[in-house]
Amino acid sequence: MLIRDCMKQNVFSIPDTATIREAASIFAENHIGLLPVVNEDGHLIGVVGLREILKLELPDFFDLLPELDFVHDFGAVETTRPIAEQLDHPIITLMRPATTVTETDGLLKALSLMLKHQLNDLPVISNNGRLVGIVSRVDLGTAILATWKNIGNEIA
Amino acid sequence: MIAIVLTSLIFLISLWLIFSEKLNRTITSMGGAALMCGIGIGMGFYSEEQAIAAIDFTTLGLLLGMMILVAMLEPTGFFQFLALGAGRISRGNPLKLLIMLGTVTTIFSLFLDNVTTVILIAPVTILICEILGINPVPYLMAEALLSDTGGVATLVGDPPNVLVASAAGFSFNDFLTHSLPIVLVAWFVALALLRLLFRRELAIQPPNMEAVMKLEPREALEDWKTARRVLIVLGLAIFTFFLEEWLGISPAYVALSAAAVALVWTRPNIQETLRHIDWSVLVFFAALFVMVGGLDAAGVLDVLVNALRSLEHFPPVLLGIIIIWLVASLSAFVDNVPITIALIPVLKGLGASGMNIQPLWWALVFGAGFGGNGTIIGSTANIVVASLSERTRTPITSKLWNKRGLPVMLATCTVASILYAIFYSVFE
Repeated sequence: MLIRDCMKQNVFSIPDTATIREAASIFAENHIGLLPVVNEDGHLIGVVGLREILKLELPDFFDLLPELDFVHDFGAVETTRPIAEQLDHPIITLMRPATTVTETDGLLKALSLMLKHQLNDLPVISNNGRLVGIVSRVDLGTAILATWKNIGNEIA
Repeated sequence: MIAIVLTSLIFLISLWLIFSEKLNRTITSMGGAALMCGIGIGMGFYSEEQAIAAIDFTTLGLLLGMMILVAMLEPTGFFQFLALGAGRISRGNPLKLLIMLGTVTTIFSLFLDNVTTVILIAPVTILICEILGINPVPYLMAEALLSDTGGVATLVGDPPNVLVASAAGFSFNDFLTHSLPIVLVAWFVALALLRLLFRRELAIQPPNMEAVMKLEPREALEDWKTARRVLIVLGLAIFTFFLEEWLGISPAYVALSAAAVALVWTRPNIQETLRHIDWSVLVFFAALFVMVGGLDAAGVLDVLVNALRSLEHFPPVLLGIIIIWLVASLSAFVDNVPITIALIPVLKGLGASGMNIQPLWWALVFGAGFGGNGTIIGSTANIVVASLSERTRTPITSKLWNKRGLPVMLATCTVASILYAIFYSVFE
C-alpha cells in the first residue's frame, strides 16, 4: 500500500498571505491539528501546528517554569487573550518547515517520520511539490493495523 | 619597564573588552592570562609556577563547593516551594507579598549565590503576580535589590566578599560582626525606600486575591527527600563556618566537604549536577588571578602603590568613604569581581608600605556590594530579573531602574558611609 491509498485528499490549507486570525478560524471550523501553508502555485512552503498557534493564548512567562502542576486557579491569567494586533500578523510568522511524504512513498516511510519527529500529521506532496493530501497518525495507523489480520493466515 | 607597559596594556585592553561587552568576559580573561603568561615567560619575569600560585584556590574552592550544593537543591523544587509559600502567606496583599518575597530571596542569598536564587524565584514571582493580576515589576526589582544588599552581610553572600576575605584573612565571623550590622540597617532602609518608590503600584488591590490561596507549594516540591538532605548539610556547613577560626580550617574546605557529604548522602547523577555549575565563572576568576599575578610580577603594582603612597597622610575615615563611593560607582556599571580582583593587590601594596588597610578592605566590601544596585546592568541579579521581565507586559527598562533602583543604591551607600564613619574604630 502507498501513502496515496490512505491519505485524506480533502486537505485544508492556507495561502502564505493569510493572517493568524484567518488561520485560527480554519483550525476551529474544521477541527484540524495541522494547517499546511501554500504559495500561489499550490506548492507547500511550510506548516502551522495547533501547538504553535495556541502558544499565543499562553503568556510568555509560562516557558520559564518547568511545570505548573501546583497552580489550581490561574486567576487573572485565565482571562488574558492574545492582543488584536498579534492576530493580524501574517501566518508565516508562526510557520515551521514541513516534514512531508510523497504520495508514492510507502507507509513505513511515513510511520518512521511520525515516530522519530513526534508528529501527528504529515502533509503529502506530489512529485512536483504540490500539496495533494494529508495523512494523520490515525489514518496511517489504522491502515497498517488493518493488514495485521492476514498475518499467520497466508500459509493456511 | 617594557614588562610594566606590556602587562598594563594587556590588562587594560582586557578590562575594556569586558566592560564594553565586546567579548565574553571568560574568553577575554583566558586570552589575557595566556598572553600575559607568555610574555612573562619570554621576558623572564613571570613563570608558570608563579601563575599557578597567583590563583586563589580558597576562593575557587568555596565558590565551587557552594555551587554544587545549589546545583543539588535546584531541581528539587525547593525554591519554587518557598516562593509559592511566600505568595500564600501574603494572601495576595501587595506589600506583604513584596516583604515576603524580598525576605525569602535575601535569606537565601546570604548563603547561596544571588543569581541562582533570583533565577529560581523570579519566574514564580511573575506567575504569582500574573495570577493576582498585578504588575510584577516592583517584586522583581525588590528581589534583585534586596538580595544584592543582603549578600554583602556574609562571607559567602557575594563573590567580592570571598575575594576580600581570602586576601585580608577575614573569617566568616568577621563578616557577622563587621558587615552584617550595617547590612541589616541598609536592608531595612532599602525595603522602606522600595515601599515608598512603589507606593502607587503597592496600593492597588489585586483583582484576584483568592486565586493565590489555591496555589499548592507542596506540589512544587518535587523531591523533598533530596531537598531535606541538602538543607541539613547546608545548615551544618553554615554552623561550621562559625567555628572556622576555632577549628583552624578554611571556608573552602567547609564548602567542599559539605558538597562531598551531600553528594555521598544523596548520590545524584553527578554529570547532571555538574552541568548546573557555572564553570565560566570559575574559569573567569582563575584567569583574572593569573592576569593580576602577572601585573604584580612585572612590578606594575609597586608603581601604583608608590603613586598612592601620598594617601597615607589622608584622613583615614574620609579615605574609606571615598573608596566606598568610588568602588560603588564603578560596580554600578561593571561587574564587581574584576574591580575587586584588581583592587586587592593595590590595597595589599598599600598595606606593605605601612598603611593600616583593615578599614579599607571593609570599604571595598561595601562599595562592591551596594554599588551593583545602581543600574540595570550593575549586578547579574539585576540583569536576570530585567531579562525575565521581558516576558511580561511590563519589561523593566534602564530608565525605570534609574528611577527606582539607583535611589536604593544611593541610600544603602549613604547608610554604609555614615555607620562606617561613626563606628570607624570597629573596622580598624
